[in-house]
Amino acid sequence: MHQLKGLRLVLAAYTALFIAFLYGPFVIMAILSFQQGPEGGPQFPIIAWSLFWYKHVLGIAPPSRVAPLPIGEALTRSLILAFATMVVSTILGTLTAQAFRRRFKGSSFVFYLIILGMMVPGVLLGLGMALVAEQAGIPRTWWGTAFVLHVVYTYPFCFLVMLAIFNRFDASVEEASWSLGVTPATTFRKITFPMIFPGVLSAMLFAFTLSYDEFPRTLFTAGSQVTIPIAIYGTFAVEIHPNLFAFGVLTTLFSFALLTIYGVLMALSVRRAAARSIGLQEEIA
Amino acid sequence: MAADIDLELVQLRKVYPGGTVAVEGFDLRVKRGEFISFVGPSGCGKTTTLRMIAGLESISSGDLLIRNRNFTDVPAEKRPTATIFQNYAIFPHMTVWENVAFGLRVRKLPSAEIKRRVDAIIDKLELGSVAGAKEGALAGGQKQRLALARGLVTEPDILLLDEPLGALDANLRKSIQEELKLLQRNLGLTFVFVTHAQSEALSMGDRVVVMNAGKVEQISAPFELYTRPQSPFVARFIGRNNIIDGTLAEAAADRAVIATRFGPLSGLPTFDRGKTVTGHAAYAVVPSEYVGIEAVGGAERQDMAGVDGTCTALDPVGQVVYVSVRLDDALEVRLETHREMLSGRGIAPGTPVHLSWRPDRVTIVADAA
Repeated sequence: MHQLKGLRLVLAAYTALFIAFLYGPFVIMAILSFQQGPEGGPQFPIIAWSLFWYKHVLGIAPPSRVAPLPIGEALTRSLILAFATMVVSTILGTLTAQAFRRRFKGSSFVFYLIILGMMVPGVLLGLGMALVAEQAGIPRTWWGTAFVLHVVYTYPFCFLVMLAIFNRFDASVEEASWSLGVTPATTFRKITFPMIFPGVLSAMLFAFTLSYDEFPRTLFTAGSQVTIPIAIYGTFAVEIHPNLFAFGVLTTLFSFALLTIYGVLMALSVRRAAARSIGLQEEIA
Repeated sequence: MAADIDLELVQLRKVYPGGTVAVEGFDLRVKRGEFISFVGPSGCGKTTTLRMIAGLESISSGDLLIRNRNFTDVPAEKRPTATIFQNYAIFPHMTVWENVAFGLRVRKLPSAEIKRRVDAIIDKLELGSVAGAKEGALAGGQKQRLALARGLVTEPDILLLDEPLGALDANLRKSIQEELKLLQRNLGLTFVFVTHAQSEALSMGDRVVVMNAGKVEQISAPFELYTRPQSPFVARFIGRNNIIDGTLAEAAADRAVIATRFGPLSGLPTFDRGKTVTGHAAYAVVPSEYVGIEAVGGAERQDMAGVDGTCTALDPVGQVVYVSVRLDDALEVRLETHREMLSGRGIAPGTPVHLSWRPDRVTIVADAA
């Protein structure tokens, strides 16, 4: 009994430490983002609480010696890039996982080939891509060379998520559909896809977030029009101001918003299916 | 005459890519409205055969005919069959009603007709109270009936059932077994029913196909299968038979004699006399219900055959008593009798006993040469 209590204490302390390390950096950053500006710096103590740096990020603060963050266009690029990467990687990952439901000749080789995309160090891949582009005379752009690498990087994650989903998927449900006279294509649309949809949502989330804050691959391949992580890194070279922290807080809130949308979509997909069946019965009645 | 044959298998054969032969030489003709059961140990090829009929498994060679049309290379969705799976394969994202309607909706039938047919079958199978529920809210028996309703609503020519009672508890299995048989009779629909349980196969099938190691061992009506096995495998697998091994001494059309360690035994031969010759290994098969038991020393009846042994154990189960009898060091048989038949006969573990039976109850079987 006593030993058990001791163990519980140790585990509780461990959990507390874990949470401290997980949220600590963000909490410190969030507090410092309310530092007085423009004279207050990225350190304690807080001179006075203010929303100056938030106004600064949004470009509504009075002009001062601190240059505005060069993020407007970079943010748009990052969002477009993350969205496109999400769409392509999720489709590719789902189709590949579907192909892997049956063992085919060389399937394990192809498996490791795909997984390589997330295993190879990003710096190497970015540098290599830059060299290839240089040799082949392909211009380095965020929507070209960088986009390709984002897909190479996120596609294995989507693939693995969908592989896990299909692993638990009971194929007899599809066989039942075929045996009712439903073609394989319609079966995929009406039976398979609705059943794997939660997995598809997770794959999309993975692809989007991984692409959105991807750094090393983008650094070497995006060319002069940079994405948001590169733009932020660029400001470090000069001097760090709390406006960066304010931006960090806003970005994190954006991520939470995405997660909320994900959660709502999940709940809706369950509820809509129920509502549709009731609606269908009423419609026919 | 051939018009009422619903299903015909001609030398059906399945070879897996690795070279494993799952099924071979399967010939079968099933009449319209017949309930045919496939039974055999796991891995015998019964489910593979069912899946070949359903179109879920490709046919390596041979022909599959449904109502005289060749369906050998036709994909599953174009076959006039419906399949009931062991795990029911309910669509989890649809309600009971939607599950049943699905097969009709993709056929683009008018919604009034869909409603009429779905409501009718839901009513017939007593699923009305759960029509709006999803899989998670259904009990085992309800899932079973839903799977049936979903298959039947599309009006297939043949219903294929793959161990449909396997996931139910024993009591439910018994009652659904009866329901299923009744339903099949009312509909007059051809059922192909796969099971590993001989009791299900024997009680439900008009005819039973016994399979072993990818081959058909016997196709017979249940009683014939039970009393006249055609191979040593069937004799061991079906019923509770006492089997005494020996070598074939003489064989005529209606009577064969085998020489055994316990003397000559005769019975009706079911083997191919063209292939099994004198001196070949053969077995006398006596269903345990047909074996009488008494203490040694009683008057032996001239019209009965029999052997002597030693009683080793009595296992009463209610009115029935299972008696184990050691014939020699290599052979112990088990027979079933009633409590009254034993009382006052001086039979107890350790006593010498005499087993007897009518020779015409015996079947002589032999392995195919």
